[in-house]
Amino acid sequence: MKFDRRLLLNFDWGFLLIVLAICAIGLLNMYSAGFNLPGARGASPCLRQSLWFLLGLLFMGISFSIDYRDIIRYAYVIYGVSLVLLAAVFFAGEVTRGTQRWLSLGGFSFQPSEFVKLTMVLVLTRYFTVHEKEGKYSLRELVVPFVIVIVPFLLILKQPDLGTALIILILFVSVILFIGVQWKAIFIASATGVLLMPFGWLFLKDYQKERLLTFIDPQGDPLGSGYHILQSIIAVGSGGFFGKGFLKGTQSQLRFLPEHQTDFIFSVFAEEWGFIGSLVLMILFLALIVWGLRIARQSRDLVGTLLAYGVTMLVFWEVFINVGMVVGFLPVVGIPLPFMSYGGSSMVVLMAGMGLLMSVSMRRFILQP
Amino acid sequence: MSEKRHKFSRYDSAKFRNAFGVLIWVVTISMSLLVVRMWYLQVIKGSELRLQSENNRIRIHESKAIRGIIKDRWGVALVENQPSFDISIVPGAVRNVVDVVRALEAVYGSQGLEFRRDISAAEKNRPFIPMKLARNVSWEELSLVETNSLNLPGVVVDVVPIRKYIDGGMTAHILGHVGEVSQEELKADRSGLLKTGDRVGKSGIEKYLDSYLRGINGGEYIEVNAIGRKVKTLKRVEPVPGNDVILTIDAGLQKAAWEAMEGKVGSVVAMDPRDGSIRAMVSSPAFDPNLFNRGITLEEWKKLSADPFRPMENKAIQGQYPAGSTFKIITAAAALGEGIITPETTFNCNGSFHLGNHEFKCWNKKGHGRVSLHRALVESCDVYFYNLGKLVGVDKLAEYARAFGLGDLTGIPLPSEKGGLIPTKEWKLRRFGQPWQPGETISISIGQGYISVTPLQLLNAYCAIANGGTVYVPRLIQRVEALDGEILQEFTPRIRSVVSLSKEHMDAILRGLWGVCNESGGTGWALRRPEADVAGKTGTAQVVGQKGRWEGVKSHDMPWKWRDHALFVCFAPVDNPEIAVAVVVEHGGHGGSAAAPVARKVIDAYFRIKAEHDKAYRGEKSEI
Repeated sequence: MKFDRRLLLNFDWGFLLIVLAICAIGLLNMYSAGFNLPGARGASPCLRQSLWFLLGLLFMGISFSIDYRDIIRYAYVIYGVSLVLLAAVFFAGEVTRGTQRWLSLGGFSFQPSEFVKLTMVLVLTRYFTVHEKEGKYSLRELVVPFVIVIVPFLLILKQPDLGTALIILILFVSVILFIGVQWKAIFIASATGVLLMPFGWLFLKDYQKERLLTFIDPQGDPLGSGYHILQSIIAVGSGGFFGKGFLKGTQSQLRFLPEHQTDFIFSVFAEEWGFIGSLVLMILFLALIVWGLRIARQSRDLVGTLLAYGVTMLVFWEVFINVGMVVGFLPVVGIPLPFMSYGGSSMVVLMAGMGLLMSVSMRRFILQP
Repeated sequence: MSEKRHKFSRYDSAKFRNAFGVLIWVVTISMSLLVVRMWYLQVIKGSELRLQSENNRIRIHESKAIRGIIKDRWGVALVENQPSFDISIVPGAVRNVVDVVRALEAVYGSQGLEFRRDISAAEKNRPFIPMKLARNVSWEELSLVETNSLNLPGVVVDVVPIRKYIDGGMTAHILGHVGEVSQEELKADRSGLLKTGDRVGKSGIEKYLDSYLRGINGGEYIEVNAIGRKVKTLKRVEPVPGNDVILTIDAGLQKAAWEAMEGKVGSVVAMDPRDGSIRAMVSSPAFDPNLFNRGITLEEWKKLSADPFRPMENKAIQGQYPAGSTFKIITAAAALGEGIITPETTFNCNGSFHLGNHEFKCWNKKGHGRVSLHRALVESCDVYFYNLGKLVGVDKLAEYARAFGLGDLTGIPLPSEKGGLIPTKEWKLRRFGQPWQPGETISISIGQGYISVTPLQLLNAYCAIANGGTVYVPRLIQRVEALDGEILQEFTPRIRSVVSLSKEHMDAILRGLWGVCNESGGTGWALRRPEADVAGKTGTAQVVGQKGRWEGVKSHDMPWKWRDHALFVCFAPVDNPEIAVAVVVEHGGHGGSAAAPVARKVIDAYFRIKAEHDKAYRGEKSEI
């Protein structure tokens, strides 16, 4: 692949700026979240997250340097590797708090399930570009992509990681609705889904059931399972309009808020920066998503459109579900807030995804129809 | 490969134009929903949730104020504060709480541990808040726990100040006791400083001067993290100790009175007739106010309240008795004051007095012969006073009795004082709807019938005879002092009323009272000191409703509860009285034999203590 000068000319600086702005807020917030953690041996969470961010930048650079069509060409290979990694989690994975999500590779541990989120976008893009269709897809034509999705879905559900499994399913639904499905297919699929729901309840772990029940009635057990959501609401609300100030959030600094660096990172931010800060962050995320959708729309090929759309929707759903959960809008499921939650896997994978978006964006003029 | 490129080149994004239009809306509306929710939480409910987050992090560790000390007139402490030890466990510092509690049970004995095995979810979430296991443990138990501290991780000892009433029951009715504040007391509290769990005065001086004694609790506002472990101290407020109270009581005299009453049921009050200062006040039997320190058990409380000798009652101000013969000074004063008799007027006593067809007996069936006021007082001739009463009338008697402070609250600074009763014609009509019978006046003239007075009222009346007619409000408190010695309140002597009786008449009564103790035939022979300086009066009060029933039966042959109350009131030295003593021995029989010996011991003790103090004072002077 030879270097084209036009690539540099068309580089999407605005998009990069939005991503970097969110990452900067994320790192600043991580400094606060890790500020009073006595258990942080060695590097503080902020420092570690910074390293992950730099690694993420590297992956971003790699992914926008390569022509995304070449990457999509290897989508099934990547998918295969993902499945192997997911399977490996069951044999070699680390068990933390009753779940088996982590895989250790030469001193680093990472979460294959985070990787799988992006893989799903790649593999679905691949499938629906190869099997491109003028009209709408029928139920039978969706069986193969469904199987492609359901295998990692079940593996992740088994870990158990309800949040990631849910994201994968929602991504799948988002993609097929986007490319067009017959009304009959939609009806049958949703009817089947509703019928299967009671069985799904049986497969849920106790803590997952509890979380769902807690969402319905958070006051029911304020010190048990409702504790999380109640403390989170107190944290967000107590921020008020202007916030308590950087490093001054008592809910997080005094650790009333469990898991405040990971899934509940937004409440740390909302407590210290208030409504104003939260609004700014939401506008940045909205800008990123709208920009991502524009990239999808402006792409000159279906691969670019689906790829950009998939990655953007991944960010959208993660932001919406995570923040919705933190403000007591949605049930508690383990989904990280993009660029904000602590975690290398999520950071690196998302940065790579951003690289793909930029890749689609800057290649829209090279590609001739 | 080329085929695929071709495929790409046929791409027309117009297919998705509508989808993108919808998507932008979906995404924007979704994010707006989140922002609306944030507006609700952060702006609309912001201040409410801010308060919740403050409550989350701030705890108050109270440090109790030390209660003020109560001292006698010489500065001798009557109550102290003592450290008491509570044992608690910090669940978060222990791997297994139940194991440690079991170990503690092995050391301490299983009784009395408050530990509940069903720790609530709230406590689970606050593992660094200590849980009380035992209160007010003894030194032995404490040292057992301390020596075994290696086996008892997370077990901590809290020091809480409690009241130590040095003399126990001896001063119980003056000092009172403290206990946990009640709901009613919390409601009535205007200072806003009282909180549930605080200890306040429940009776006696502890109650009367509670606001002075209590002090102001301090505490630490500490910031804690989610598991209750202290992060830092936000604010520290030192407790303000309570103020000291100096009483008019003389601890030595109090002790003498207490010992003199040992085994008897009744009360002793001693007062300085010159200013109404109370020097001793004993009610027997007494309760141990220290019992209330550890929180009295229901069983102990039942025992105290069911005791027929009423140990909780301060009989000196709450016991109401017929005055008996001690009332005769009032009858005499009324007859003299109204000009009905002179001190020289005589009446003949042949052992009984007739009014209509009713016969009133003198205690001496043989009669006293022709007696003057002086002899009538000395020998306590009933017939003489029957005559006076008949001539004076009940309403005049009541007027004089009230002037001497009988039948009304004396105003002593103690809670729950009783008023007693001095009947009048109008009172009887109002109370029973019946007119006064002349015969009832005859009973009143010797202190029987409807009359009831408290020992303190009686003493107050005799003090008025002793000091020439001034009735004081009994003074129990000298002053309240802050810790630095600043006098916060001075309680100066207060005059209640002055009896308008000429000096000649006063003297006549006073001489008669002297004769009671010092002349042959006097009923107060027990007070015949070598100095011949005591004046007094015996009284034997019949228990209401038993009049006549036990006629001719010796007192000690009667059932105890129907025996007469023995009364004795006296003061000394007669020329310039400085101490007056009233004694009531319930169901003690004769005043002269049962009550007077008690008064004698108190009078003797008074002069002994006085001599000791004078000697000490002189010694001090010679050193200078």
